[in-house]
Amino acid sequence: MRSRGSIIGGVAAIAATFVVFVIPFLFIILMAFKDKQQSALRDFSWPNGFHLWDNLYEVVKTRNWMMITAFINSSLITVVSVTLLIVLAAMVGFVLARRKTRWNGLIEFLILAGLMIPPAVVPTIWLLQGLKLFGTLHGMILIQVAYNLPFSIILYRAFIATIPRELDEAAVIDGARPLDVFFRIILPLLWPVTVTNIVVQSVGIFNDFTNPLYYLPGNQNATVQLTLYNFQSQFSTAYNLLFTNIMLITIPPLIVFMFFNRQIVAGMTAGAVKG
Amino acid sequence: MTKTKLFALMGASTLGLMMTANAVYAQQSGYLSFLIDNGPQSVAVAEAWVAAYTEKNPDVTIDIEVRPGGGEGDNIVKTRLATGAMADVFFYNSGSLFQALNPAQNLLPLTGEAFQANVQDSFKSVVSAGGEVYGAPFAPAMGGGIFYNKPIYEELGLEIPKTWDEFMANNEKIKAAGKTAVIQTYGETWTSQVIVLADFFNVLAEDPQFAEQFTANEAKFATTPAALRSFEKLQEVHDADLFNADFGAATYPDGLRMVAMGEGAHYPMLTFGIGAIAETVPDHIQDVGFFALPGDSADKNGLTTWMPDSIYVAKTTASPDLAKDFVSFVASPEGCDIRNEAVGATGPYMIAGCELPADVPPAVSDMLPYFQEGGQNAPALEFLSPVKGPALEQITVEVGSGIRPAAEGAALYDEDVRKQAQQLGLAGW
Repeated sequence: MRSRGSIIGGVAAIAATFVVFVIPFLFIILMAFKDKQQSALRDFSWPNGFHLWDNLYEVVKTRNWMMITAFINSSLITVVSVTLLIVLAAMVGFVLARRKTRWNGLIEFLILAGLMIPPAVVPTIWLLQGLKLFGTLHGMILIQVAYNLPFSIILYRAFIATIPRELDEAAVIDGARPLDVFFRIILPLLWPVTVTNIVVQSVGIFNDFTNPLYYLPGNQNATVQLTLYNFQSQFSTAYNLLFTNIMLITIPPLIVFMFFNRQIVAGMTAGAVKG
Repeated sequence: MTKTKLFALMGASTLGLMMTANAVYAQQSGYLSFLIDNGPQSVAVAEAWVAAYTEKNPDVTIDIEVRPGGGEGDNIVKTRLATGAMADVFFYNSGSLFQALNPAQNLLPLTGEAFQANVQDSFKSVVSAGGEVYGAPFAPAMGGGIFYNKPIYEELGLEIPKTWDEFMANNEKIKAAGKTAVIQTYGETWTSQVIVLADFFNVLAEDPQFAEQFTANEAKFATTPAALRSFEKLQEVHDADLFNADFGAATYPDGLRMVAMGEGAHYPMLTFGIGAIAETVPDHIQDVGFFALPGDSADKNGLTTWMPDSIYVAKTTASPDLAKDFVSFVASPEGCDIRNEAVGATGPYMIAGCELPADVPPAVSDMLPYFQEGGQNAPALEFLSPVKGPALEQITVEVGSGIRPAAEGAALYDEDVRKQAQQLGLAGW
């Protein structure tokens, strides 16, 4: 039987979650329904009239249908760079966990350095210009992979340490080549931590603002976060359109979360058990 | 994506061919990229200019690209200039921010262009470096002063104040009538500087040498009585308890809305706010008037003015002649007319031959007498001296909130500018 105290505690926790997570979301949705004058008040009120379709249409068609280009670009960048990240990070993690050499210490230091040292914008642009990758989607993808790789490697390496080495040996005895061992034995076993990687990295890359701002100039290269600046400026902001835009671009990460929701917790704890 | 790039290449090469073949042709062709800030007025007016220009020159393609404003925008402009990835033509601030772009290295001089003959010298001085002029004005001049709500003034039978005492007397009457007399919006700290900065005409009226002496470290805000008055005025309005209750959290859009809708009587602000009022509360634009920040004497009543932003050409541009031609189109009377039509008039133009339409909002027409014969105006300190401390807005928030007395705030600001002057390597610091 549950005590009265724990019930009150549970209700309080639900109320707190509601205030912290649901109310801001409701605010976004309410704002998306308002017209410009009412939204400029920025209060938590019921919209006067239904303006969602007008706002949606306005947001999508602004600056020559920039939103659509932005969704295509962002999806491409996110999907390709997350795929590359997972394959590369899992491979590096596998090798680092399985093969002990005297270089391991140095390699791990370099990976940590990638996490700790902030990247500088101007030299990176020079490098990209030298490689003829500046202002291109594949250049942006390589940047996202490079910036996020250390974090993914660390997640994978910790998890691979928990997979018994006997599995690899059994596969080798059955005649598997090294690549088979990785792709057919190890990678499927990494599913929980892969889900964590997919969720964390895709939300991070999809929501990235500063990197596309500096490394991906040009209208045809717009990403979703940059479309926010169509409606928000230093001295004047169209809040109804801004919040409609926010609502639109919140949907894809939300879907990712709902899709992988159950596996996320498992992956988080799985990677944290042993390091 | 590739199509536009291909087009750009083709455009650039045809331009090169055309230029060698027959340079006499007035009609232009080619491709320009055009980087603008994301203010709604900038976007609307840039689109209007590009549409008009490409209609006259059908062989020209101009691609508008939008960047954020504020500190993020500064970073983008500097990054792209430093990496040679700048658009051919772009909007940016004039004055001290322009100097920070390293113009001689990054920008194309426009000194010898024909249109410069019509540009006022006061504007040229804020886009010049090392004897060359680099920019052209694309917006009207602005004034710093006080927006007031006309219905409240009519209801209480108030006169436009010419002196600070009249202004404070008006405030007392408004307060006695149970209304908010002065709106302050410290939710956005930059708005707190307006009273101090817009008072600069009055400083110069008392002490015409202040700007030079201030730059040379000979005059200080704390020890020059006329300059200290600017901080004291801010303290006085706070001490008289005239502010809106939420002055610490309200934001700039709130302030504009409040003065337009009559939730407050006065809002000290620069006149570019007119555009935002017309955008968010168009029904009340006729209710907003404007007057200069009053000084201590009615004879010396004048407006502190801000120079408009400027349009520049990057040195890395592939088609300098086309870029110059586009800039001279923007800075022509025709360009002004297009601007009037696209976003309305927000103040007098810096280009000879540019006319304002007859039906300007009252806040704009209130501003015009200061620019005409017999009217008085003077540029803000930031256009006369490169010295502007980075912490002024924090200090004015403190003074305006009653946390720090005016004299102490002025002394702290003198300390603040010292660091900046030393970084600039000015003599005497």
